[in-house]
Amino acid sequence: MIAVIIITSLCLVSVYISYVAFRKGFTKTADDYFVAGSSLGYFVLIFSLLASFLSAFSMFGMSSFGYRLGFGSLYVLTANLVPLGFLWYFMHKKTFLLGRARKWMTMGAPFGERYGTPMRIILVLVVLVASIPYIVAQIQGIGVMLEAMSEGIISFHAGLFFVPFFIALYLMMGGMKGAAWVNAIQGVFFSIMVFVLFFFVMMKNGGFVPTMELVMAKHPNLFQIGWAGGKVWSYPMIFGMAAAMCLGCVCFPQPFMHAYSSRSVRGLKAMFLAFGGICLVVITMPTLIGIAGNIIVPGLKGVEADKIYGLVASATMPDWLAAFAVAGGFTAAMSTVNGLVFGNAANLSVDIVKILRPETKSSQLITIARVFVAIIMAICVFIAWNPNTPVAELSIIAFGTVAVTFFALWGAYYWKRATATGAILSTLVGVTLNVTFFFVGGKAMVLFPQKSLLNLNGFLASFILSGIVFFVVSYLTTPGKTEEKSLKLFFHPILTK
Amino acid sequence: MSSNVNKKKNTLFLSLFLILTVLCWCPIGYGSYGEVGLIMGMPSWAFIMLVIGAVLFIIEWIYLFWTDLALYDEDLEEIIDALIKDTQETSKEEI
Repeated sequence: MIAVIIITSLCLVSVYISYVAFRKGFTKTADDYFVAGSSLGYFVLIFSLLASFLSAFSMFGMSSFGYRLGFGSLYVLTANLVPLGFLWYFMHKKTFLLGRARKWMTMGAPFGERYGTPMRIILVLVVLVASIPYIVAQIQGIGVMLEAMSEGIISFHAGLFFVPFFIALYLMMGGMKGAAWVNAIQGVFFSIMVFVLFFFVMMKNGGFVPTMELVMAKHPNLFQIGWAGGKVWSYPMIFGMAAAMCLGCVCFPQPFMHAYSSRSVRGLKAMFLAFGGICLVVITMPTLIGIAGNIIVPGLKGVEADKIYGLVASATMPDWLAAFAVAGGFTAAMSTVNGLVFGNAANLSVDIVKILRPETKSSQLITIARVFVAIIMAICVFIAWNPNTPVAELSIIAFGTVAVTFFALWGAYYWKRATATGAILSTLVGVTLNVTFFFVGGKAMVLFPQKSLLNLNGFLASFILSGIVFFVVSYLTTPGKTEEKSLKLFFHPILTK
Repeated sequence: MSSNVNKKKNTLFLSLFLILTVLCWCPIGYGSYGEVGLIMGMPSWAFIMLVIGAVLFIIEWIYLFWTDLALYDEDLEEIIDALIKDTQETSKEEI
C-alpha cells in the first residue's frame, strides 16, 4: 500500500509541475512547447537529459548484471559513457548554434536543411520505429513493477494504463518545459535513492570493502574478466558493449531537444559534461549493489536475478524506505518514456505534418503534437498488453538503429562533400543490417562478438558498414542543389570561431 | 601564431580524448584474464577503469570550461547575429 501511495504521489506531483508550466504560459507558441523557448537553465538541463536517458534498465538491469556477471558490467553503462562529454559537444555544438539561428525544434531539422526532405522523413520514421519497442519495454516494466510493488492491488494491465495516462497528461499540458522540470525532479529523486540504498546495502556487512571481500570469497569469478573459458567479459565483448552503448546515445532525439532548449552555452556544455560524470557514479552504484546482493540474497537464477534491486532494498531497509528506493527505478522508466514519446511527437508534427502542410499554424502544430503524444502512448500500451510480446525484445536494437544516423549527422556538420544519397543509403543499410542481425541471430548476434563478423557484435558491424556506405556513396555521387545551398549556413566561417 | 597554438592544443586534447575513450571502452593495458588483486574492494582493473573515467571527465571539463578552444556565451550573440543576417540575405537573393 505504501508503494501505491508513493507512485500515485509521484504521478500527481509530475502532473502538477506540468500544470504549472502550462498555467505560466510556457506552451503558447510552438517554440515554447517544443523547445521550452530555449530557456532552460543548466540544473534542469543536466538532470532532465540524465533522466530522459536512464531507464529502468540502468537501475534494475544493471544490478541484475552485477549480480550475475560481476564487475565486468561496469563497462556497460558507467565510465564508457564519460566520452559523451566531448562526443556530444562536437556533434551538437552546431545543433545548438544553427538551431538557435534557424529556430529549429526537432532532430530532423538539420538533416532536412542539409540533405533535403526525403532524409528528414526517413530519419523521423527510423527514430520512431526504433523508439516504439523501447517505449513498450519501459511501459511493460512499469506494469510489472507496479503489480509487484502494490502486491497485486494494481494489476499488470491496470498499470499499463495508470502511469502512461499520467505521462501523456503532463506531456500534453506542459510541453518541453513541463517535461524537463518533471524529468529533473525524477532524475534528482532516483539519484538520491540509489545513494541511500547503496549505503544501507554496504552497511549490512560492515562497509564496502568487507562486503566485497565476502563476495570475493564466495564468487571469485565476479571479480574477473574473461571467465567461463574466456566467454564472459572477453575483450571483444567488453569493447562491443561499451562502444555500442556510448555511440548509441549520440543520435537519439533527447540531446537535440535539450540542445535547442538550452538558454546558454554554459548550460549546453554543463549538460553534456555532467551526463557522463553522473553516470560514472550513479550507475556504478546499482551495479555494486547487485554484486553485494550475492551475499544478501544468494542463489537467484535467470529472471529472478532481475528482482535483486528490490530484494536487497527489502532485506536492508525499513519497508517504507525500500518502497522509495524501488520507486526511484520506477521514475527512471517514467522519464525515459516521457523523453522518447515527446521527442517522437515533436518529430512527427514538425518534420512530417508541417512539411506536408506548410500553412499549419503554430497553435495547430501544438494541438497536433498533443494528439501524437496520445496516439504514440496508446499504440505502445496496446502493443505492451501481452506481457510476452516479443516486440519488447526488439528494444535492444533501438540504440543500434538510431546510431547509424551518426555519419549522416557528422557529414552534415563537418564534411562538405557529404551527399543526400550517401546519408539516405547509409541510414537504410545500417537499419536493415541491425534488423537482419536480430532476426538471424537474436539478441546474442546484436550484443555479443560473432566470429562471422570479425569478432564484432552486430551493432558495431552495422555501424561500421553504414559508415563505409556513407563515405563511398558520397564520393560516388554529386552533391545536389540542397547540399550546395546548405554549405553557406552549415560551414559559415563564424562557426569555426 | 595564436591559431597555430590553438591547433596544437586542439590536437593534444583530441589525442587525449581518443586514448582515454579507448581505455574507457576496453581494459587494454590494465586488465588481464583470471585472478586479480583488489584495490579498495574492487578488482584492480575496475578501479583503474573508474579512475580513467574520472580523469577523462576532468580533461573534458578543462577543455569545455577552462580553455579558449570551446564556445562561450560571450561569443553567442555575435555568432547568431551573423548566421541570421546571412540567412536573411540568402533568402532575399532567392526572392
